Amino acid sequence: MAFADDLKRAPVVMALTLRYLLGTRRVIAMGLLAGVPVLLTGSLALAGVATFDILLFQSLMIPLFLQVVLIFVTLVNATTLIREEIEDNTLPYLLTRPISKPAVVGAKYAGYLAAVLILLVPPVVGAYVITEAYEGVALSTDADVLAGFLATTVLGSAAYGALFLFISVIVRKPLAVGLLIGFVWESIAGAIPGNLPKLSLIHYLRSILKGTIEVGPLSGFVTDVSAPLAVAVLVGATASLLIAAMLVFQQSEFRQKA
Amino acid sequence: MTDVVEAKDLSKWYGQVLGLNGFTASFGSGITGLVGPNGAGKSTLFKLLIGQLHSDKGELRLLGEDPWNNVGLKHRIGYCPEHNQLYGWMTATRFVETLLRLDGMPAADARAKAAAALELVGLTSAKDRPLRTYSRGMRQRAKLAQALAHEPEILILDEPLSGADPVGRVQILKTIAGFARDGGHVLMSTHVLYEIERITENIVLIHNGKGIASGNLHAIRALIDKHPHAVRIATPTPRDLAKALASMDHVVSLEVPEPDVLVVRTRQPDAFYRELPGIVADGRLDVRGLESPDDSLEAVFRYLVG
Repeated sequence: MAFADDLKRAPVVMALTLRYLLGTRRVIAMGLLAGVPVLLTGSLALAGVATFDILLFQSLMIPLFLQVVLIFVTLVNATTLIREEIEDNTLPYLLTRPISKPAVVGAKYAGYLAAVLILLVPPVVGAYVITEAYEGVALSTDADVLAGFLATTVLGSAAYGALFLFISVIVRKPLAVGLLIGFVWESIAGAIPGNLPKLSLIHYLRSILKGTIEVGPLSGFVTDVSAPLAVAVLVGATASLLIAAMLVFQQSEFRQKA
Repeated sequence: MTDVVEAKDLSKWYGQVLGLNGFTASFGSGITGLVGPNGAGKSTLFKLLIGQLHSDKGELRLLGEDPWNNVGLKHRIGYCPEHNQLYGWMTATRFVETLLRLDGMPAADARAKAAAALELVGLTSAKDRPLRTYSRGMRQRAKLAQALAHEPEILILDEPLSGADPVGRVQILKTIAGFARDGGHVLMSTHVLYEIERITENIVLIHNGKGIASGNLHAIRALIDKHPHAVRIATPTPRDLAKALASMDHVVSLEVPEPDVLVVRTRQPDAFYRELPGIVADGRLDVRGLESPDDSLEAVFRYLVG
């Protein structure tokens, strides 16, 4: 009964989150950052760069989109969800309504995921379309590349979002911790030999790209994780982190900020 | 019948800082004023009541239930936080409507109820303005609207008059009184005693995390009046004035701490202030200023806790 009530009320929190993430001024900065792939491929096309093709697209998208744009957009949006409500003293409005704390977390996460996918997916598709159009090939020619990047965008947004949301319910300065994890740990772990890279999310995202794209710069990327396994690990990590965030939030107390 | 709020030996620490210290009190129906100076523990008690904090010790019941993580209890509560932060990017209508939807109300009903609540607090003309454009007083009223829109059984209002302009104060007090008249319970905190005197006689005094007195306002006033009230009088002739005031039977002490100051302690401040002008006029005495270091509630509390 309580679960059914939560399900009924969760869309309200989700819509509130979506409106906040996409309907306030913050969306301008996020939109500009998320739009980097389109700006970059558009610039290359306008400049008439001779070597601009689907390989260059991949070579640019992996370090730029996957390791910078995706992490930054998910970090900023996911850490906002709970922490900003605490900092702004608006959380009591939600927590004094008949909806459980885990449902608030779940609904906010759903709103986050919808918002970041609205921000991130169109630029990936747009950049791909620009690349294929510049090459003068059919849009379906390199469908594996598009599928690979869309899969990593969706799964990366989900997993990083859950990670950063979890961080935001356990520490007071989630942005700083998230920056360290997102840009330091995720970069360093991938370069260390052995099994340590498996403790980074980026390893599984790369494994998905390697497994789905036939020809690309990740041909030389060494991994014993298949694309289906990588998907399963990311889904599992997302679910685990989200549940952990819900459980921590359920037991959390909230002092009003002075 | 069970009291609306029952707290027994309730304690809450924030690390080394004590929020509540063995607080024991029961609040009945109608309007109850929780009065105490800043930092007394009022907000801590309220946060325990809305389930935002969990007590470290003792028992707390709101409408007969434990409030911690009690989702079912929440539709019976209307809470107005102390801070004025709102979702500034929302209009007042959207704000109240969204929170009503969270109470499980269908969209159309929520819209109608939001409009009614905003009208009740006098915000109809500003209901479609973003909340960030609201003054402090308007924010107080918007907070009150969201607290009562879903027709809760109890309103928990943390300093609802803080920052409100005179017109806003009247509107807020009128709304609270109306809610109580219709059978609702109200628990309202303030650090200014006179604010609450206008709408209720049920008072609980809280200081340093402890409930130090509760009951009828007049009984508490009498309790306060048992403690000498100090008045500092600026006069060039303190000894002459002291001689004249010594005849007042409620004066318990007279002191001249400085050459041009007389400090009087009386058990009946009302009578003292009433009789003083006559005594000064009759004795042709020169009184240049009066101040009471006891004016603040803090001083009253210091008396009560000894």
